[in-house]
Amino acid sequence: MKKKTKATTFLMVLIMAYLLLPLVVTIVYSLFQKWTDIVPEQFSLGSYVIILQDKEFLLCIVRTLAACVIPIGITVCIILLAMFVTTVYFPSLDKYVQIICMIPYTIQGVILSVSILSAYIRAGSFLGNRLVMLFGAYSVIIMPYIYQGIKNGMSAINVKVLTEAAEMLGAARMYAFFRIIVPNILSSIVVSALLAVGIIFGDYVLVRNLTGTSFQNMQIYLYQTMKSDSTKASAVFVIIMLITCLITAVTLYLKNKEREK
Amino acid sequence: MAYIEMKQIVKKYGTTSVLKQINLDIEKGQLVTLLGPSGCGKSTLLRCLSGLEEVTSGKIFLDGQDITELEPRKREIGMVFQQYSLFPNMTVAQNVAFGLKLKKKSEGEIREKVKNILEIVGLSQQADRYPTQISGGQQQRAALARAIITEPKVLLLDEPLSAIDALLRRSLQNEIRRIQQELNITAVFVTHDQSEAMVMSDMIHLLYQGQIEQSAPPAEMYLHPKTRFAASFIGNYNIYTDVQFHQMTGLKLDREMLVFRPEAVMFCDPGRTEMNSYTMKGTIKSEIAHGNVLRYTVDVNGVPVNVDTLFQGEERYEKGQECYLKIAEKDCISY
Repeated sequence: MKKKTKATTFLMVLIMAYLLLPLVVTIVYSLFQKWTDIVPEQFSLGSYVIILQDKEFLLCIVRTLAACVIPIGITVCIILLAMFVTTVYFPSLDKYVQIICMIPYTIQGVILSVSILSAYIRAGSFLGNRLVMLFGAYSVIIMPYIYQGIKNGMSAINVKVLTEAAEMLGAARMYAFFRIIVPNILSSIVVSALLAVGIIFGDYVLVRNLTGTSFQNMQIYLYQTMKSDSTKASAVFVIIMLITCLITAVTLYLKNKEREK
Repeated sequence: MAYIEMKQIVKKYGTTSVLKQINLDIEKGQLVTLLGPSGCGKSTLLRCLSGLEEVTSGKIFLDGQDITELEPRKREIGMVFQQYSLFPNMTVAQNVAFGLKLKKKSEGEIREKVKNILEIVGLSQQADRYPTQISGGQQQRAALARAIITEPKVLLLDEPLSAIDALLRRSLQNEIRRIQQELNITAVFVTHDQSEAMVMSDMIHLLYQGQIEQSAPPAEMYLHPKTRFAASFIGNYNIYTDVQFHQMTGLKLDREMLVFRPEAVMFCDPGRTEMNSYTMKGTIKSEIAHGNVLRYTVDVNGVPVNVDTLFQGEERYEKGQECYLKIAEKDCISY
């Protein structure tokens, strides 16, 4: 038994080391200043200072956040409305909504971007705008996460009875859904939205293929920095990682809060 | 004209008829119970009255007004559901105030009414708690307060006590009845528990397979069930065919079936015959205590007869002991 525990612990440490080593090395590498031999001579936060003072980098963060907020807002609204209709009026249609929302799981970013370009680039309307195409593509790829999050939240409460109870008290069905059901699944919506933020933060393929370099997000900035200065690129990577960690921490906090509730 | 009139109500799901031509009248201020086994259509009938289910055909009138096509929120009907249906994101007070806010009442009026109603249901101390922070019984009382605060024309209760333990259920039965009488509310109560129906109702409508089997006040329903189903559902009647009756008494029955209540059967002295009574000789097969009632099962010539006596701890019969039973003819009902 004791042997088994020791073996498990050893295996765990090994896996942790395997996973964390590249991360630690990247952090250490981002702090190098002078490297003359096998080990570096000086460490400095210089790269971080330069990056955080770079207006272009800060603009990249703002652009990336905008690329998160708008598609997530659109997708949440669309899925909430679809689920309102399927829950209250047509429960039998729910499985079709589920299938539609899950399809983006199966589509590769490259295929999606090429398909969108070939379909809309000559559309001539606002749909041919590259930014609209990008936000549209983001709205589609985050659909499975948003749908599943909202679905899980709704299955935790008795939507039918709560809607009926509100209706019997004089509320219209739409009012009941958005005044009673939505506030009760708000943490689920936030959690799934944060997951979607994580996905958009990490995207390179869609933004590169759909907008070229005209819409620089954090991944594009990272790619361009890598070409010129690898130490600086490591620092950019660490900052992106810290932002992602922050998002994950908020997600876990909200999940725990929901569980406590 | 009755306060609530349901005329020729038919409800079908596909080709399955759940309600078959139901006619029901309910007088103002009464607490009426829809009683029946699972799947008999009692909850569907209630939901048709509430508007949450559309009727396939038929008409519903409330206070003289045809409400058949009216949306639930416009019917002025309050409802308490089987599941705890309090809004989890609101406190007890906010839940109770919800209906009044929708009616756009002033803040002062809402505060006053919420305070009063919470006092009536005994939840003043829990006003600021969330539904998850109070017990099941308190949740149902809050749901009741929420349903009656808007002064609906009718209060519907869809098995509101079925998820509550026996002791609390009895106290809530009395409480609901007290509030209903105090505020003179017309209420329709759905239950599958016949003893609950007996305790609470002014009138019981017994449903079976989508039809009303019998409508009567509780005592009448208990003493004079009109059909075999009513006898079997209300009061644990002894039910016998003409063949079984002949086996027990040696007499011939001119009807198909005979029923009598277990507490109407008496133990008597050997060989004693009485006018207008059937006497039988049997052997005690088993005894089971149901609270203050002791139920014997007596084997009478191969036919089991249930006999209820008061559990007084003295003069009890032993298993296997020979005994004599009598049942007055007036206590027997034949179909």
